[in-house]
Amino acid sequence: MTLKECYAALGGDYEEAISRLNSERIVQKFVLKFLNDSSYDLLCSAMEAENYEEAFRAAHTIKGVCQNLSFTQLSDSSSHLTEVLRSGWSSENMPLMEQVKRDYQQVTEAIRTLQTEIEGK
Amino acid sequence: MREQRYKQKILVVDDSEMNRAILSEMLGEEYEIIEAENGVQAIALLQKYESELSLVLLDIVMPEMDGFGVLSVMNQRHWISEVPVIMISAESAFTHMERAYDLGITDYINRPFDARVVHRRVVNTILLYAKQKKLIGLVEDQIHEKEKQSKLMVDILSHIVEFRNGESGLHVLHIRMLTDLLLKKLIQITDQYQISRADIALIGTASALHDIGKIGIDEAVLNKPGRLTDEEFAIMKTHSMIGAKMLAELPIHQNEPLVKTAYEICRWHHERYDGRGYPDGLKGDEIPIAAQIVALADVYDALTSERVYKKAFSHEVAIQMILDNQCGVFNPLLMQCLREIADTLQEELRISAQAGENQEEMHEAVEELLLSEDLNAPDRLVELLDYERTKYNFFAEISQEIRFEYTQTPAVLTLSAWSAERLKLPEVIMEPMHDEKVLAISGNSDWKNLKREILKTTPQNPVFRYTCEISLEEETKAVQIIGRTIWSGDEKPQYKGVFGKIMDV
Repeated sequence: MTLKECYAALGGDYEEAISRLNSERIVQKFVLKFLNDSSYDLLCSAMEAENYEEAFRAAHTIKGVCQNLSFTQLSDSSSHLTEVLRSGWSSENMPLMEQVKRDYQQVTEAIRTLQTEIEGK
Repeated sequence: MREQRYKQKILVVDDSEMNRAILSEMLGEEYEIIEAENGVQAIALLQKYESELSLVLLDIVMPEMDGFGVLSVMNQRHWISEVPVIMISAESAFTHMERAYDLGITDYINRPFDARVVHRRVVNTILLYAKQKKLIGLVEDQIHEKEKQSKLMVDILSHIVEFRNGESGLHVLHIRMLTDLLLKKLIQITDQYQISRADIALIGTASALHDIGKIGIDEAVLNKPGRLTDEEFAIMKTHSMIGAKMLAELPIHQNEPLVKTAYEICRWHHERYDGRGYPDGLKGDEIPIAAQIVALADVYDALTSERVYKKAFSHEVAIQMILDNQCGVFNPLLMQCLREIADTLQEELRISAQAGENQEEMHEAVEELLLSEDLNAPDRLVELLDYERTKYNFFAEISQEIRFEYTQTPAVLTLSAWSAERLKLPEVIMEPMHDEKVLAISGNSDWKNLKREILKTTPQNPVFRYTCEISLEEETKAVQIIGRTIWSGDEKPQYKGVFGKIMDV
């Protein structure tokens, strides 16, 4: 799996990321690093604890990171979630959180595949 | 091997480790990156490095304290004029951007950012700030040099007059200092004359020219020992008109304020408030205030100096003679000024004469700069303040006092490194009145009483003292808290915060 194929699998825009960050090496480095980012765990635990202020910040951080890496799909869903959390959470918005979860799984699965292949080489 | 060179420091403030890492990757080659993961950490680092930082890259949404909180503190502590801030945020709402610009940021970069754009903007901002600082320094040096030159020319010119006059070179210096002291007192007691600080400097310089007309007086009359005959006195009296005429006939510079003021002083510094002076017999405030002041200064200095025809009177006798109207009649307001500065006058003249004028000038230049609103504090001033701060910190550390600083919005308590260690608290604390560790230091009622003491202060009486017990290193200790509240300079002063120290009793 190439980095480009990984982007296709995770719902991101490979060309845009390369053009903004200016180097395949840097993009790959940070894509792999995304697995260690704790914002998603923070988002889940904050939602669990019904601490919506913290959940807002965590969703906001995920949105920012995804924008930087051009993870378009997760960026969009986390952006929606951010706006909902900003104006006040209600349980009918739960599908948005589910969407973020699905998109996040998709992203991390794709990156893990890429990681395994790189390490296997 | 690559040469190790000094790298400028950039503070990156972002709660996401990923985002900080991406920025470090982009800029780490050329700059030293210091990272903070929330606003409180950023404040602590700003406090530590202050003007050593070349730039701050600041996120908005963060835990503990957000980017706007950081900007507020940077404004209150005047860091914003020293360190440029570029805001980087995923917030694209125009209101956020506008608010950030209002708080003094230099640039705003939206996420997702482009590596080249970030790099360019960072480099540009740092270069622009460096250039601006250099330019301010250059302008300042030039102003300084120019002022020095023109003062020098005026001094030489007035010395020529005195030289011919056989007077000591100190006369002009004394007149200038007296004029200055009287004017400063005058604007304290009345705003009737609308004299600005710039006017005071101008009148001071122009005062040196009050006797230039004397170069048109025959030396035999000018330097005659003993009393002048009526005829000789009439000749002597023409010096004020001669001086005025010389200035009025200057082929150029007619519209210069200095020339206009000098003209008034030359022509009318022998008028009397009761209308019995010369050359025009002006009365009361028909005589321009600059001329009234110089006339008074001239009389005082003449009385306290030795002349060919008289001995010097003591300061006390001279003041008494003037106040008794033995040496002319002056504006009652100026009499009040003289009375009020009489006690310190002698000492001030002595100190000024010893210190030389440069120091006084430098001091005033700094004061003017502090007051001027359109110029940010230039390097020289910053250095001066840095020096004072270092000195203050040093003395405070060796005296082992607990010092604190508190700003109201955002509510942030800052402790010196040593104090924080002693109290076992962080150096920067958000919302200290809701912080358990802070509250645990003293009893509940003490905090309430302290707050009451603070609320009792006013801009006129900003100092408060409060004695209480605090727990320090697992012991209960009686201490006195002395502090001063800070107020804004608005017409209706707003409470801004407190600084102070805690001392053992």
